Amino acid sequence: MLLRVTDLCTTFGDGPAAVDGVSFEIASGETFCLVGESGSGKSVTGLSLLRLLDGTTAHHPRGAAVFRSPRLDAGTVDLMRIPETEMRRIRGSRIAMIFQEPMTALNPVLTIGEQLMEPLMLHLDMDESRARARALDVLEQVHMPEPERRLDEYPHRLSGGQRQRVMIAMAMACEPDLLIADEPTTALDVTIQAQILELMAELQRRRNTALLFITHDLSVVAQIADRIAVMQQGRIVETGTRDEVLYRPRHPYTRALLDALPSRMKRRRGGHHADVSHGGDALLRLEKLRVYFPVYRGVLQRHVDDVRAVDDVSLDVQRGRVLALVGESGSGKTTLGRAILRLVPSTGGRVRYAGEDLLSLSARQMQRYRRELQIVFQDPQSSLNPRLTVATTLTEPMAVHGIGEDHVERVRLAAGVLERVGLEPRMLDRFPHEFSGGQRQRIGIARALVLNPSFIVCDEVTSALDVSVQARVLGLLDELRVEFNLTYLFITHNIDVVRYFADEVAVMYRGRVVEQGPVDQVCNRPEHEYTRTLLAAVPQFEPAGEPG
Amino acid sequence: MSETVTGGVTQHDGPESFRAQVVRRTWARLGARIGIAWIAVVALCAVFAPFLANSHPLLMRRGGVWSSPLIEHLTWIDVSLLAAFGGLLVAWWLRRFRRTLPLALAGVTLVVLISYFGVNPPAAVIYEQYRTGLASETIETAVFAPVPFSPTDRSRDRPRSLTAPDAVHLMGTDEDGADVLSRMIHACRIALGIGFVATGIALILGIVYGGIMGFFAGWAEILMMRFLEIFESVPQLFLLLMVVAFFGRNIYLMMVVIGLTSWPGYARYLRAEFLKLRRQDFVQAAQACGLPVTSILFRHMLPNGIAPLLVAASFGIASAILAEAVLSFLGLGVVDEPSWGGMLNQAVGPGGTFAPWLASYPGLAIFLTVFAYNLIGEALRDAIDPHLSRERS
Repeated sequence: MLLRVTDLCTTFGDGPAAVDGVSFEIASGETFCLVGESGSGKSVTGLSLLRLLDGTTAHHPRGAAVFRSPRLDAGTVDLMRIPETEMRRIRGSRIAMIFQEPMTALNPVLTIGEQLMEPLMLHLDMDESRARARALDVLEQVHMPEPERRLDEYPHRLSGGQRQRVMIAMAMACEPDLLIADEPTTALDVTIQAQILELMAELQRRRNTALLFITHDLSVVAQIADRIAVMQQGRIVETGTRDEVLYRPRHPYTRALLDALPSRMKRRRGGHHADVSHGGDALLRLEKLRVYFPVYRGVLQRHVDDVRAVDDVSLDVQRGRVLALVGESGSGKTTLGRAILRLVPSTGGRVRYAGEDLLSLSARQMQRYRRELQIVFQDPQSSLNPRLTVATTLTEPMAVHGIGEDHVERVRLAAGVLERVGLEPRMLDRFPHEFSGGQRQRIGIARALVLNPSFIVCDEVTSALDVSVQARVLGLLDELRVEFNLTYLFITHNIDVVRYFADEVAVMYRGRVVEQGPVDQVCNRPEHEYTRTLLAAVPQFEPAGEPG
Repeated sequence: MSETVTGGVTQHDGPESFRAQVVRRTWARLGARIGIAWIAVVALCAVFAPFLANSHPLLMRRGGVWSSPLIEHLTWIDVSLLAAFGGLLVAWWLRRFRRTLPLALAGVTLVVLISYFGVNPPAAVIYEQYRTGLASETIETAVFAPVPFSPTDRSRDRPRSLTAPDAVHLMGTDEDGADVLSRMIHACRIALGIGFVATGIALILGIVYGGIMGFFAGWAEILMMRFLEIFESVPQLFLLLMVVAFFGRNIYLMMVVIGLTSWPGYARYLRAEFLKLRRQDFVQAAQACGLPVTSILFRHMLPNGIAPLLVAASFGIASAILAEAVLSFLGLGVVDEPSWGGMLNQAVGPGGTFAPWLASYPGLAIFLTVFAYNLIGEALRDAIDPHLSRERS
């Protein structure tokens, strides 16, 4: 065994153990996936193995991590026991780590080459020219376009996917025995994710490197794992081969996780979305909507060009239905959602809501429609004012729009809405930071609901949530849609969610809608080239058996 | 819905607002406690100055009649400060700042108005009369304040200018023969006043100007930013010198000038905060709900952006105190009224004589006060630093 972890514990301060008696083994060349939801302790486990946690608060009261490497002087070491100087020699050379956020993982003031060469010169005692040659070599291995030129460039010139390639190149440069990858593809688009996963598999085959892959995404796990451990609240609840865990799960938590996958959930309103006639009753109609952001250059700030975030988009959203807007980051889908609500100014075109062109209204006239059109945001952290209680957040819009006679009645109404979204009325007096991500997203939904809207823009509402929470929030949104006859514009990058939730789908690419139509048609018989690429990149995972 | 959402809430004793959190974290630091303690000492000296150092006896019996010249000689400023302090105590005691604050403010304003028109201490003051009276036994009994000298009591009965500290004058006397300790105590008022008033003016200007810049981007912001840069290039000290030269040595004018020249920094801070906040989802949500601009600005953005301003303000108070000290040291400070900087000025006499007690005590007081504000600012900055408060994952 390359790495044998037994009874590993990690605590922060006096708090409960974040990692509570975790044991697993990783063999050379194996891909071992650590799966769990946020807060399950999977990332802390990875960081504990390299002892990268803040030493003033984090402690390891017990446990051992025996690491055996033929290229290590001592042969076998316990990572939890060896002195820091020795640990530093192992970090980066024998065990390397890749982090989630490629945007912040590279130092912006050093060139790519400098960052790649430093560990080589440090760990392998290479001189500068040899280190440079090796750096070039690893950049080629991670299929970086124009590697020679990239060496002397700074990180800001690279896209997210390219940065993650550099991170992998950096991790692989010293040819480690074990690579710990902590959600390495979570921040990337699906097409980039597919490329990166393929790259990691290729490098692993060639070098026989073991991979500890930490993720929350079961469909990625299904693609790459040899063996899987499922973590819940600091403990491993189930370990086994990929097929055992994914297709014959024994632990109820694993089963619950699998059932929460959108691809596994029962299709919403099975089949009857062909009933509604098309084009008849469009609640919202976009006509050649354009949102350009001007680019100014030079001393005189001359207007030289536009960034065409939304470019001639025409769409219909039928009353009472769900139109999904899919696309990768930067495709303009979020800007489109905000332009409809006039949160960003539009450059041209029309937004017709129930026949009225919203863009031509004055601010005063628009006020009436602020009640009708609402938005729920992606990030539950930033979408609630941290200084206001839930009650204030919910009742202030009501007061502005004259809902409820007085404050007492408004609080009563707010309590009702809060109950409707699955929270308790006594939570009204709390502040946002006292809630979990899923609960905050429910408050965000409640804030949209207090004004009794007809149309809600859901901007990546479930992207920041764990799968089980995502399933419940999607369920809630569907119930509310039926109960209040709501119409959704559902912005997302997750094709599985689209399949489960939407009636129609529009695919956005570089500010334009390249394809739109009923979900079945677009997802199963895509016509546009880009849609096909997008669908092919989505990790396919269909757990066996009927949904429980 | 098959689920119940009751768990998951972080467990601690009741909700802790951001304000409570910042206060707790600030108080947890030793530096902050020392700083607050020193400022409290200075503030108490400022409020109770006439009771701590005064030539008028607190109680005296002359010809069988009891009287209190000290209270008779209280000015409207003394009364107002005492009233403000009392109002603050009552509000604190009731522990309901938010509800009692308007009431307390109204009460204090009323007392200030009444005392401004109603309190008329005798214009001519003869400090020596009590000492000579006691000596000639026309005054039978007298109870004095702990320091039995007023700051402007020049001891004409026994001229003692520039004497070193002794048993009578614990910190010596200045060149006019006034007691240094008494002047030190009464100078707390100017030190505190200049800090709070000047910084208060600067804060209000900075918040309004910076808020407008940050919220309404575009041409307005570009123009306002240029104007701000022009304003920033005005050298504060030389402007102060000029104003003093033209309009005389007026402490209130100085406060206003210091306030008027130090707001651009606060405006910049708030503009940066607002530019960041404007893109936050909760501000967008407030706009999507059709909330009025005033509510978005003052309810949703300002409370989230003001924390760094408060930190800057605590440093600003320190620099305002220094500015006044510099002016007084140059001999352009207030006339007659004691100020720490002015006392430093007297340390080196016209004949080249040096009085170390006139340099060390006021110098130490200035140093400690500026240091205390810096300590508080430092602790405040650490307390609101998001990197220190991030949740463990």
